[in-house]
Formats: sequence, C-alpha cells, structure tokens
Amino acid sequence: MTTPEEHLKASYKEISDLKAALDEHAIVAITDPRGKITYVNDKFCAISKYSREELLGQDHRIVNSGYHPKEFIREIWTTIGRGKVWKGEIKNKARDGSFYWVDTTIVPFLDAQGKPRQYVAIRADITERKRAEAAAALLAAIVKSSDDAIVGKDLQGVVTSWNAGAESLFGFTAGEMVGQPITRLIPPDRQQEETEILGRIRRGDSVRHFETLRLHKDGKLLHISVTVSPIKDSAGRIIGASKVARDITERMQAQQKIQQFNNELEQRVAERTAQLESANKELEAFSYSVSHDLRAPLRAVDGFSQAVLEDYAPQLPEGCRDYLRTIRNGAQKMGALIDDLLTFSRLSRLPLSKSAVDTGKLVRRILGELNFQMQGRQIDIRIADLPPCQADPALLKQVWINLLSNALKYTSKRDAAVVEVGCTREKEQNVYFVRDNGTGFDMQYAHKLFGVFQRLHRAEDYEGTGVGLAIVQRVIHRHGGRVWAESEVGHGATFHFTLEGETKS
Amino acid sequence: MKESSVVEILLVEDNPQDLELTQRALKKANLAIHLHIARDGEEALQFVFCQGPYTWRRIEDTPKVILLDLKLPKVDGMEVLARIKSDPRTKTIPVVMLTSSKEQNDVVESYKLGVNSYIVKPVNFERFAAAVQHLGMYWLLHNQPPKMEE
Repeated sequence: MTTPEEHLKASYKEISDLKAALDEHAIVAITDPRGKITYVNDKFCAISKYSREELLGQDHRIVNSGYHPKEFIREIWTTIGRGKVWKGEIKNKARDGSFYWVDTTIVPFLDAQGKPRQYVAIRADITERKRAEAAAALLAAIVKSSDDAIVGKDLQGVVTSWNAGAESLFGFTAGEMVGQPITRLIPPDRQQEETEILGRIRRGDSVRHFETLRLHKDGKLLHISVTVSPIKDSAGRIIGASKVARDITERMQAQQKIQQFNNELEQRVAERTAQLESANKELEAFSYSVSHDLRAPLRAVDGFSQAVLEDYAPQLPEGCRDYLRTIRNGAQKMGALIDDLLTFSRLSRLPLSKSAVDTGKLVRRILGELNFQMQGRQIDIRIADLPPCQADPALLKQVWINLLSNALKYTSKRDAAVVEVGCTREKEQNVYFVRDNGTGFDMQYAHKLFGVFQRLHRAEDYEGTGVGLAIVQRVIHRHGGRVWAESEVGHGATFHFTLEGETKS
Repeated sequence: MKESSVVEILLVEDNPQDLELTQRALKKANLAIHLHIARDGEEALQFVFCQGPYTWRRIEDTPKVILLDLKLPKVDGMEVLARIKSDPRTKTIPVVMLTSSKEQNDVVESYKLGVNSYIVKPVNFERFAAAVQHLGMYWLLHNQPPKMEE
C-alpha cells in the first residue's frame, strides 16, 4: 500500500510529467483573472521572440497583431470569463514585427466559488497552414476569375472541377459537368484525342498548346488551344490532369481571312501578271511586225527610186531627179526612225542583267566608234576619272553612245569643240555627266527634252529622230537612276545621270 | 542535165518588190544566171527535197547558197532552215538569212539552227544591193563547199 504522501508524490510527478509533455508539444501561457501573464513556456518565448522577463506581468496585448476586430477579442474574454473553454485561431505579432498564427485553446481554471482563478492558454503554431491556405485561396481566386477555361479531371477523364471560364467557353455549368466524362465536349470524330491525351498524362507528360475542336453545349464547334498537365498528389502520384483551354475561334477566323486575302491577292497578281505578259507579247508581236513589215515598203520606195535614177536618169529633168533623191531621203529617214523606235521599245522590254561596268573603258571604246563624227574637226575631249557602276552593259552602252554622239553633234558648228565627261559622288550614287560647249537648248523646253520624238532643234540644223534622249531616260529609269540636263542657248549643255556605284561585297 | 539542175542560188522571198530589188542587185553583179525563186516556205522545201512540182530534181544537186527570208507564207523561214539543217542530205547547203528582222531572238535562233550568215536588209538600196552582191560573190565564188559523198 502506498501512503497518502507517496500517493501525493506520485500524483505530483504525474502532473509535472504531463506538463513537461505539454510544454514539449504546445505553446503554453497562463494568465491571472485580470489577464496578466504569470507563466509562459519556452515555446511561447520562441514563437513570440520575447524573453520570459519581457512577457511576465504583461497582458496578451503585447502580441496583439491588430488583425482581429475588437468584438472577436471581447468574445474570447466573455467566454472564458464565464468559465467556458474558448477555441479559435488567432493571429499574433512577434517582437520583431512578424506575424504568426496559433490554434488556441484557453481553459479557465476555476476557484471554489466557480470563478476563474487563472487561464491556461494552449496553442499550436499554424502559421504554415495559414500561409498554405492563403496561397490556395489565392490560386482558387485566380482559377475562378480566369477567362480561360480551367478544368480538372481524373485519370479516367471524369471532370473534377470546372471554373467560370469553362462555363462561359463551353456553355455547361459546373453542376452539369463535374462528375461527367470530359468526352462530352469532344466531337465524335476526335474522341481518340482524349485517349492519347490521358495516355501522355499517365506517363507524366504535358500536352501544350494543342489546337483542336471542341463542342459547345449548343452543338457549335469551338476552335480551342488546350494545355493539359498532370496533377500529382503530395506523394508525387499522378492523380489527374488540369486542362487550360482558350477560345481561338477569332484567331482561326482571322487566320482564315488572312489566308483568303492572300489567296485573292495572289490570284490578282497572277491575273495582272498574265495581263502584263499578254500585253508584252502583243507589244513584241507589234514591234516584230513593225520591224518586218514597215521596212519592206520603204525598201521598195528607196530601191525603185534608185532604179529610176539608174535606168532613166538621162531622160529625166534635173528637178525630177532631185525629187527622187528627196523621196529616197524620206524613205531612209523613216527607216532610221523605225530602227530607233524599235531600239527604244526593245530597251524597255528586255530584262535587265546588271553587272559591274568599267565606265572609263566603255566611254573610250564608244568614242573610238564615234570617230566618224569627229573627222575633220577640232574637238577637245576631256575624260575625268570615271568610277565603275552596276548596270546592264548593253543598255548602258546605248546611253553613253546617245549622250556622246549628241555632244559631238551639237558642237559640230563650233570651231573648237570641247566635250567633258566626268563623275561626281552623291549619297552612294555616281552622278555621271557629259558637258559640251555646243548649241545648247532653251531651259524652258527642258521638260520636252526626254520625250519620244521631241526635238528642240530644226531638222535642217541638226539631224535626228528625237528618240535618243528618250532611250537614255528609259534606260536610266529602269536602272533606278535619274537623268536631267542643264543648258543655256549658245553656251552648251550638260547631261547628268545617276547610277548606283559598284556594290562592295 | 536539165537547166535547173545547175541552180546556184535559191532565193526564197514572198515580197514581190524585195524580190525584184534582190534580183536587180544580183543581175548587176552577173549573179542571177542560175537563180531559182521560191515564193513561200513550202515551195522552198519542195525544191530542196525534190517533192511536189520538183520530183524531177535530184537531191544531190544542191544549190550553192539559199537566200532565205524569215517571214514567209505557209512555212516560215525558221522552219525551212530547221528542216534543211536537220537532214543529213541537205545540212551542208549554206543558208543565208536575208531578212528585215533585227530582233536578237531571230538572230540567235537562226544561228542555233545552223544558219551560215544573217543579213538584215537595209532600207537604203545601194547598201542593200552591196550586201546582196557581196554575199552572192562570197558564197558562189570564194566559198569552197565540201564534196558531197557519192
């Protein structure tokens, strides 16, 4: 038998062991009936970051976070003041200003009169749980407010969650869909897609931005882009899938529209090209015919006039012979005109084939070919440094021939003719020029200078067909360059044209 | 031997004025003695290949030169040229294009088909006559044709 003393001792030991166990597990504080703290255990000090000395004698306002309304605090006191146990979650503030949450049970210890003599508060730290709950609530709010349809499903493809975005996208309410197979949304001819998606999910893979068709509640087809990812439980097991779907109907329609526009545009380009090609063909046929058929009668006019002159000259009066010569001149002039026109049309038609051209060499060679225009004349030809350029050599040659032979022609009445050829540089472009001290022209007619058949001089003064400068302009324009002229009557003329310099590559 | 078997120049020309002018030029140079004239491409081919009205000819009696216009009724000059140059019996006959066309395409195409010379008819008669006479002289008198295999 144990003595009462021993019994008491044993009981005391039991209590103090229990208290030690409690201290080990919980945050414990004891206050007196007026709320003054009379005891805190180590865990209380640790979580509140106050020392025991700082806490004892204070009341619980020392850890008040200000988070809870006054009524909440009052309700605690009312409850425990009546001797009842209070349970709840409280947010407290530690000494360093950080907050912590405690799950709290306050037990009033009553005296013999049934009045609380002290309050024992036992708390557990639930800060982590609260944080997780807040994060989860935030995520839930995001899901809830998302315009995208966010749907959860299990590995059998049964819908487990259905947000407002899903309601508005698919037309089904959460009530209609949760617990239903997701295949309800899939058109009959695409049912196998779900099997494939679930297969990938089970292997732990995601399906990203998969563009497909799904059914709206009203039976309409929706273009959607869907991303499906596995959902894992805390142990890492795949337990389902989350599916985020977005309506891309508008985008698809826009794409289709763009495609349609493109097709129409291509169609139109093809039509225009065909028209152009046919116009070009007609033009070719036309010039061919001009080349062939227009010259034949001229040969007859010229040839038979000459035949008359040869065979019947003695019988003809002198005036008649002159007329025949005039007829021949006319025919030959028209022949030259036809040739120039054909050249002009050919230069406009032929495709450009550009290469690097040694301008200096070209100009010297042409001057050699134009030697017949210089015979018996005193001409000072000055050729400056001429940089190379990028151009179609055959077409460019025609430009230089026309400009140089013009310079020689319009200086033919000068005793001392001067022809200068040079080049200046202007914004990545070569500006070539041919300057002469010849007859020049009146600047008020400068706009007519480059027109076909436009002449600023009388035929008896200077021969010409009025096509040469038109050719120059056409060729330079086709090269993307500019051409212009300056002159003063009686003081010569300068013709400029631009061409891109040799490309460095 | 018939008179026509010694044809030296076959002139293929449809335009009567050009024809007369060409003949006039050849005559002046005494080159028109053994001249035969075909007025279209079909007749030219019949002559060369001894068909139609020319079955009495022998294909080996080739002319010394053919002066061929490009633009011809029925069969055009380019095809006449192609047929002559693709037949082993006739491909050694010198063919000279005598045409109004300065088109590069025509020149290039003719040379591809094996033309021996390409002359653009000038409007100026003196130059036209000179061209015809020069080429007549060249092909009839100066050029040495290959001996045809028997």
